[in-house]
Amino acid sequence: MAFKDLRSFLEKLETEGQLLRVTQRVNPEPDLGSAARAVNNLGDQAPALLFNNIHGYNNGRVALNVHGSWPNHALMMGLPKDTSVKEQFLEFARRWNNYPVPVERVDTAPFHANQVTENINLFDILPLFRLNREDSACFIDKACVISRDPDDPENFGKQNVGIYRIQVKGKDRLAIQPIPTHDIGIHLRKAEERGENLPVTIAIGNEPVITTIAGSPLTYEQSEYEMAGAIQGEPYKIVQSKHSNLDIPWGAEVVIEGEIIGGYREFEGPFGEFTGSYSDARHQPVIQVNAIYYRDNPIFEHLYLGMSPTEMDFITSINTCVPLYHQLKEAFPEVEAVNANFVQGLAAIISTKTRFGGFAKAVGMRAMTTPHGLGYCKLVILVDDFVDPFNLPQVMWALSTRVAPDKDLVVIPNASVLSLDPSSDPPGITHKLIIDATTPKSPEVRGEIFAPTVEPPRDTEKWETILKQLMNK
Amino acid sequence: MHTCPRCDSNETQILCESPVKGCWVMYACPVCTFTWRSTEPETITNPEMYNPRFKVNPSEMGKYQIHPAIAQRRS
Ligand SMILES: [Zn+2]
Repeated sequence: MAFKDLRSFLEKLETEGQLLRVTQRVNPEPDLGSAARAVNNLGDQAPALLFNNIHGYNNGRVALNVHGSWPNHALMMGLPKDTSVKEQFLEFARRWNNYPVPVERVDTAPFHANQVTENINLFDILPLFRLNREDSACFIDKACVISRDPDDPENFGKQNVGIYRIQVKGKDRLAIQPIPTHDIGIHLRKAEERGENLPVTIAIGNEPVITTIAGSPLTYEQSEYEMAGAIQGEPYKIVQSKHSNLDIPWGAEVVIEGEIIGGYREFEGPFGEFTGSYSDARHQPVIQVNAIYYRDNPIFEHLYLGMSPTEMDFITSINTCVPLYHQLKEAFPEVEAVNANFVQGLAAIISTKTRFGGFAKAVGMRAMTTPHGLGYCKLVILVDDFVDPFNLPQVMWALSTRVAPDKDLVVIPNASVLSLDPSSDPPGITHKLIIDATTPKSPEVRGEIFAPTVEPPRDTEKWETILKQLMNK
Repeated sequence: MHTCPRCDSNETQILCESPVKGCWVMYACPVCTFTWRSTEPETITNPEMYNPRFKVNPSEMGKYQIHPAIAQRRS
């Protein structure tokens, strides 16, 4: 079952006890950033927050942490809120294979209710705020940014929906950070080669699936809308822009239409990033805003960034694990599950059956050579198939009892990593580490004599069910 | 007129005022593109108290990377 917009998902969260309404008056700074940090400190079952009383606004509303817990992630997928992380992962992986699901096109959307094309002032419509102290401005950090390939504008698959940090520079002026290897970076390069501006549409406040898919590592020609349809289990509803051929999520709260100015860069940043470190200031592209559309009393949806745990650990979690899992499984069907939830997969844990000694190390190297692994997978931990990689105490057990530091560590020197990794030196280059925490197997000598693992007593699973039923009485 | 807390420029401008009048004013610096709100803590609004690690020197703007590089026009 699909949620048609952010509002209907917030209603569902409220029904399930996963939405906290904050009605007391708050200051944009430092209250909203502090509350967003605070809710992330409350653990992985925390609710979303909805503020409706923001100093300086009549009807300003801000939603934070909408994706930011495992119950919320399960509810997004239409699953019971207590679904285990591994079950959510396996279900997500199953739906991923239903790609592509064709979209549903409609002509009108709720955001057509209000239109501004002159004297645009973003601050009138969005309760923008500074998130972290050293951020250079207010940012928009959880919006779907839509663009097309200027050399192939009719190609629906090459249309990109992605999330990029956006600095608000003025009433109708934004900055954006397109990484050259990201799809929008490719679109901008082509536009600049053609001597053109690049039209972009920014959709803020969406139902949760498209935001999750916009943060997923799809291939260049894969459509985020057709993947969102696969994950939500029905065609994704979109409406075409009135100003361009860009397609917009039907339920968006606020839609900003504009263009990235070709051949021009301007001072941007710093900004507190998902790595938990500030990225340095740079000269980056600028977006000129031409029109804004919005629903009545729109909700500004935003995301906290900083040291883990943050909402980023949910919004780029299972959607990062699943493509990595499918790519690994093509080479090694023995792979059981992938947990790449840590800082977008800079560290990853893979559980796998092993065929023979040294097998797990090969699986670790394959993870580093996947398209996503080229920029991530700096630390890869391999555990046995009976270890749940989402259960960190189990992973620590494997590290504690299976790893012989003289035999199980593999260092790959001077490998590639995303340049935002604060530990890379120079930025973009790092040694990578495989830790083999699987049980040794022959022909490894240790495999013959390794102390047998204690298996759970026969009826353990049955008793888990009995005890759960007794606890719920 | 206000001095930019980050780069000490005196060219700062009023960006906008709160939709409910009188609550706050946003300022913008055209030199370093810093923006700030009148109601923010002094560590943001006061040039003397702004974190020295994050100060910007307008004469050194060239030292910051251009990202992404501007693509050459096809001929
Ligand atoms: Zn300045």
